[in-house]
Amino acid sequence: MENALGLGGYQAIMMTVVFALGLLGIVGLFLAIFWPQRWRLKYRIEVGFVVLLLGLAWYADARSTAIFTQYQSAIRESGVLSGEPTAPTGKFDRELKVIAFQWGFAFLTADNKISRNAAIVKPGEKVLFHIFSNDVIHGFNIPAVGITSEIEPSQEGSAVWIRAPQKPGKYLIQCLNYCGVGHAQMKAWLVVEGTEESPEA
Amino acid sequence: MAHPDDIERMGGLPHWEPENVIGKMTLGTLLFSHDYRHIAIKGMLTSVVMLALGGLMAMLFRTELALPDIQFIDARPYMSLMTLHGMLMVFGFAIPLVISIMYYMIPKVLGTERLLWARGAQWSWWMLIIAAVLLVISRPDFTWTFYPPMSLRVVGDLAWMGYVAVILVALSEMIAGAVLFRNGLASRGRFRKMPLMGWAALSEGVLLMLSTPVLGLVGLMMLTDWLEITAAFDTARGGSVMTFMFLFWFYGHPAVYLPLVPAIAILYTLMPRFLGKPMWSYWSAVLAFGLLTMLSFVVYPHHFQPAETVSGPIQRATQILTLLIFIPSTMHVFNWIATLWADPIPVSAKRAVPFKFILASIVFLILGGVTGYVNAQIAVDSDFIHNTYWVPAHFHAMFVGFVANMAMAGVYYLYPYFTGRMYSQGMGNTHFWMWQIGIFTKVMMMYVLGYAYFPRWVVDYLPLPQWAVPQLILTGGAYLIGLGFIVFVINIIWSASRGKVAAGDPWPVEHDTAASPAAAPAE
Repeated sequence: MENALGLGGYQAIMMTVVFALGLLGIVGLFLAIFWPQRWRLKYRIEVGFVVLLLGLAWYADARSTAIFTQYQSAIRESGVLSGEPTAPTGKFDRELKVIAFQWGFAFLTADNKISRNAAIVKPGEKVLFHIFSNDVIHGFNIPAVGITSEIEPSQEGSAVWIRAPQKPGKYLIQCLNYCGVGHAQMKAWLVVEGTEESPEA
Repeated sequence: MAHPDDIERMGGLPHWEPENVIGKMTLGTLLFSHDYRHIAIKGMLTSVVMLALGGLMAMLFRTELALPDIQFIDARPYMSLMTLHGMLMVFGFAIPLVISIMYYMIPKVLGTERLLWARGAQWSWWMLIIAAVLLVISRPDFTWTFYPPMSLRVVGDLAWMGYVAVILVALSEMIAGAVLFRNGLASRGRFRKMPLMGWAALSEGVLLMLSTPVLGLVGLMMLTDWLEITAAFDTARGGSVMTFMFLFWFYGHPAVYLPLVPAIAILYTLMPRFLGKPMWSYWSAVLAFGLLTMLSFVVYPHHFQPAETVSGPIQRATQILTLLIFIPSTMHVFNWIATLWADPIPVSAKRAVPFKFILASIVFLILGGVTGYVNAQIAVDSDFIHNTYWVPAHFHAMFVGFVANMAMAGVYYLYPYFTGRMYSQGMGNTHFWMWQIGIFTKVMMMYVLGYAYFPRWVVDYLPLPQWAVPQLILTGGAYLIGLGFIVFVINIIWSASRGKVAAGDPWPVEHDTAASPAAAPAE
């Protein structure tokens, strides 16, 4: 599924590269151990291999940067990280302020309605989360939409945005940074409104 | 073209006569002797004890994690076990064990005939032991990264001991680094003919001496913050978490290479010894050591997501440099595979348990190393990597799969030299296969869990099938590693008195001349 980061195809390519390189290494090692044929490799083969790796590094950097810059540009344009109070910009269907605390999440809507541990959205909405911590470092992860952020205690906070799933239901929101003994219980739900209400990871 | 001195500078020769060194040791020599073999044996023994302790803790919390919900360990004792497991395994087992093996090998491999600054190695060991005792007494529950302000608020009255332990670990490692650097400089042959272990000693020395002072500083600042003398890292009192992050990970990332570099050095020493041939390329290895050392100091921000105010250029530079550090590690692996490919592998090597551990360690370095390619990318990191089980999968492949396997190769190799007897081949093979199946299962299940967004550091989790099934299998893999370790301990104790007596060269190179094709000509 293509998520807000736009990772679908790109991520598949990167995972394929990882799988291919791993397979190449392990097959090469096993051939060296078990195949009777021997070769004295020329040094230029290693040079060529390093050039290939440089090319892969360049490609990964270019793609990752392009994707992440595009993702962040929507947040920057919204102005939520400027440090000044902002009204909804209209770039997102819904903007939620999130307070991450030991050990839970509170979600505030634009009209100051608060919900403890449930962010209520509509299917397919573009949702901006402006996340603050006022105690310790927390994480903010929604597996169903493939987004993770680390939130340090600060006035500015952090921001992520997602495309809400099309399928109505409850989707897990969890802390990924160890934040004290209650860390395992620091969960909330992304509730996508609709008739179906089955929990999803 | 192979250099005429390659056999000498890249191993290939026996360095000691088998001798019952350990049987002649008394408590006095064990604790206070400056003989390099006594210091090394002491380090190896205590590292194995730390492995037993850390492993036992892992068995306990793995049993807890086998099923969803809390079974028999609550959150606080779980986190104490997890924290102690991480600290004992990294600071007490992985780093000291491979450094101790280097202490044993350096005098003969580098030709110094004794460990220079042995007194420093002795101090280093004592500081580490005191640190371990303080850690076990204080039972911190703040993970090995002890991020403030969490670590300043949620730990008990004995937390100060944990911070003192961190300072002592830093001092211990810094002194060990000075010892290795001093011995590396004194290596025979100097730079053009220096054995690869000499280059590794210099690399490890630089890594330790430059990174550990910062760890010591962080430990000291955490202590004064905890005592409320300062407020450097506590945001509620005007401190900065980001300052902690940058300081801690300036040590924390090179720390990844602290056990890795000695393990690579042991591999470069043992592989030519078992093959009876030099490595495929000497200068490729030297260049890879140099690049790894330099790059390891500049990639550390990939361990955290820098605050928005500092993220742009730092994130990009870190991403590029982290992608590049993939290259020297790959050069090492390329060198090893090319060496294995060049000539027929002697039957004696195929039989030897240490050689089997070497081959397995290469497999795991590949399994752990390749994922560095996606770990480095900010976009993927912001999806399923950051602080999910993908991260422990990566570092368990490196630390357990590569470093611990290589450490075992070193211990089995040195065994006849310090006991005068051979280990039991049957028990050695059993240990080998239990470990490889167990480690592979563990690492792969951790990758699966990471890809399914399983969070790190949780005692309890939702009963989702994509989490519960891999956790159960992962626990099975961990039990297998534990059983393999028990077989290893029985082997080294039993064989020390009942093993076959070793005489002459315990590792003679024997070729199967009938079956082996002729070696390929050199370039």
